Amino acid sequence: MLKIAYFDPDVVTPEEIFMAAGFTPMRLLGDPTIEHDKVNEHVPPTHCVWAKNILEQALRGLDPEIEGVLASHGCDCSNREFDIWIEAVKLDFLFFLNVPLKRDKIALKFFLDDLKELIIQLEDKFNVKIETEKIQNAIKLTNQIRKLLKEISEYRNKMIIKGSEFHELVKMCQIIDKNDALSQLKIKLKELKDKTPFTDKKLKRILLTGSVIDDTEFFKFLEDKGFQIVIDDLCIGSRYFWNTIEEEKDPIEAIAEYHLSKPLYSTKMPSYDRFEFLKFLAEKYEVDGIINIAMKFCEPMLYDHPYMNKKFKDLEIPYLFIEMLYNREQYKQLSTRFEAFAEMI
Amino acid sequence: MPEKKSKMLKATQGLKNAMGRHYLAIEQAYRDGKPTAWATSGCPVELLYAMDVQPMLPENSATISAAQKYSKNFIELAEQEGFSYDMCSYFKTNVGAVIENVDVYKGGIRKPTFMLSSDVICDTHSHWFQVQAERFGGVPHYIIDVPHVVSNVNKRQLGYFKKYVEEQMWELLEFIETHTGNKIDMEKAKEVASNSYELSEVWRDIYELRKNVPSPISTKDTFGGLFPLFTMPGLRSPINLYKRMYREAKGRVDAGQGALENEEFRLMFEGIPFWYQLKYFAMLERFNAIIVYEPYTFAFSKFFSNPFEEISKERLLKDPIECMSSLMLSFWYIFDLETRVKWFKQTVKDWKIDGVILHNNVSCRPNTTTFYDLKRRLGEEANIPCLIIDSDQNDPRKFNEVQVTNQIESFVELLRRRKKT
Repeated sequence: MLKIAYFDPDVVTPEEIFMAAGFTPMRLLGDPTIEHDKVNEHVPPTHCVWAKNILEQALRGLDPEIEGVLASHGCDCSNREFDIWIEAVKLDFLFFLNVPLKRDKIALKFFLDDLKELIIQLEDKFNVKIETEKIQNAIKLTNQIRKLLKEISEYRNKMIIKGSEFHELVKMCQIIDKNDALSQLKIKLKELKDKTPFTDKKLKRILLTGSVIDDTEFFKFLEDKGFQIVIDDLCIGSRYFWNTIEEEKDPIEAIAEYHLSKPLYSTKMPSYDRFEFLKFLAEKYEVDGIINIAMKFCEPMLYDHPYMNKKFKDLEIPYLFIEMLYNREQYKQLSTRFEAFAEMI
Repeated sequence: MPEKKSKMLKATQGLKNAMGRHYLAIEQAYRDGKPTAWATSGCPVELLYAMDVQPMLPENSATISAAQKYSKNFIELAEQEGFSYDMCSYFKTNVGAVIENVDVYKGGIRKPTFMLSSDVICDTHSHWFQVQAERFGGVPHYIIDVPHVVSNVNKRQLGYFKKYVEEQMWELLEFIETHTGNKIDMEKAKEVASNSYELSEVWRDIYELRKNVPSPISTKDTFGGLFPLFTMPGLRSPINLYKRMYREAKGRVDAGQGALENEEFRLMFEGIPFWYQLKYFAMLERFNAIIVYEPYTFAFSKFFSNPFEEISKERLLKDPIECMSSLMLSFWYIFDLETRVKWFKQTVKDWKIDGVILHNNVSCRPNTTTFYDLKRRLGEEANIPCLIIDSDQNDPRKFNEVQVTNQIESFVELLRRRKKT
């Protein structure tokens, strides 16, 4: 099946609209093993390393089944880099989704207008009709996926599934056909119900938050250091499934409301709203500590850190903040800091 | 090579007085208990004046810290709080200045009645004010969320983008009324809008004079000269200052005099200058080179730098809120790449520019992200040579003078060779 890919520094892509148009929505993932050869001809070195990595891959050539790309506003970087996508990435369909910074009624109305514009452009470009019923069906399917992921997520907390394995599952749901994803989740849930918790009782229970983290090897690296990610606040994680979309109302309105009422993401503001959700997760899952990862030059994240640091200190919840380049050598270089944190908690 | 000095306009000396009056007005507002507001660049400061709120622009204050050589200390104080080395240096300067509670002449700025930010230029502005609103114990903060205009945006989109901004503008008026008790007086709003238009118009006229060879004014007049546009749009006094600048510059044009003796190379400078080292720009003059256009300083002349629609004075006075909403959608300083290429090409032609210097300012990613493609396209499509220099607007630690000087020397040499062939 043909795909529409999305370059999303958050998790605000209306996948259901693409599904209703007959496409498989697919998140573009970074590849921390590649060099930034081509993108360095377009973007200066002091810009978000993750966004550059995605653009590097696009400049090298995306999966031929990808018919178009949606980029969403996450930060200043993703916004202006979109012009370079138009300039240098040869695709017939490129759409920039202006996700509002605010979440009130005026912002919701605007976001609805932008979603409707997306539908108009998709219909025009691909000569398809995006019918209401098809969007409603897509919502039912993605809601089932969200509910299953939320149920499976709890097995992280029960120490039955590793954080890394769960991360792979969420990633899978964001890149393959949704019906296939649903089938695989059902199988996985059945399998987990028969499993017993890990025997290693020394694992530290961690809440992981930060920029987009799409490299599962990073989760494995953290596990090697003695951490279990019992909960997270990530795009490839709980933010993808925490809430569901209302099925009874107008589907476009429901999608818009869903995205503007989800827990606040790290690229948005105010910090205290984000903090409240993190605090809720930390308390609910009785974590031993919080790890906050900012990809190098991920500016929105950097504004939150001193506030988070202070607030978690007040709550006496151990908190580790790391700025990290997007390559695996970094993991080794940062080993000592993670080891020290594990010791400390 | 001997030092050369371009002539600053005598009228520009009046800038100190104009800005002094601005700071006195701020002090007076605090003494009188008048409402005050922080605002970011790109915000409709005119609305504040129209509602009898005294504006304060922390970016302007940050440049003062840099010019007075305090910004490095303030930035380091912010970094001690946990703000990263890679973040906006205006923001960190402001954090440090507030921590130290310094006076206005060092870039200090007091707790306002409310804050007004917008993400038209960068999301950073809104994050910045949110951090500082928290620091002051919860200052009310209104954000004008402006949709981001990218290269392939269509007219239909611009229509609902504008509607979104306009609805927020009306909400902003209510917000200001709630927090200050001051109501909008549309007659006063029109008077302020009219003054703002006139200020922009004179600035545009000054820029028009720079088309002359030799150019009658240099960056000594424009880098600092932009501040009234930025901090006092809507007042009468800066109009008079700009008119004096215009008249003097026109006199030079009529007399065939340039700001620089033996003007040989005409340059365009894109980006925010290094405020801690403004004297550095005089170095260009040793090579008989003069900067004759800066999109950054012209951008504040917003009525004449809007790529989407023409805003006449009549239309502005008829519907100031609608027009201000339209103007907020874009800004010469952060145009999308397509518009930027188009405007650069036209500007280079009209101002007879020999080469472009692009300041890859590590503090301002929205401005610099597309520099490499901009440079390539200007070279390929219009044979315009560009030089990219790396530095920072307010953080002297990120300015490598030797490296930048070497780059500029080589660039001027390239321009010289091009002139000979």
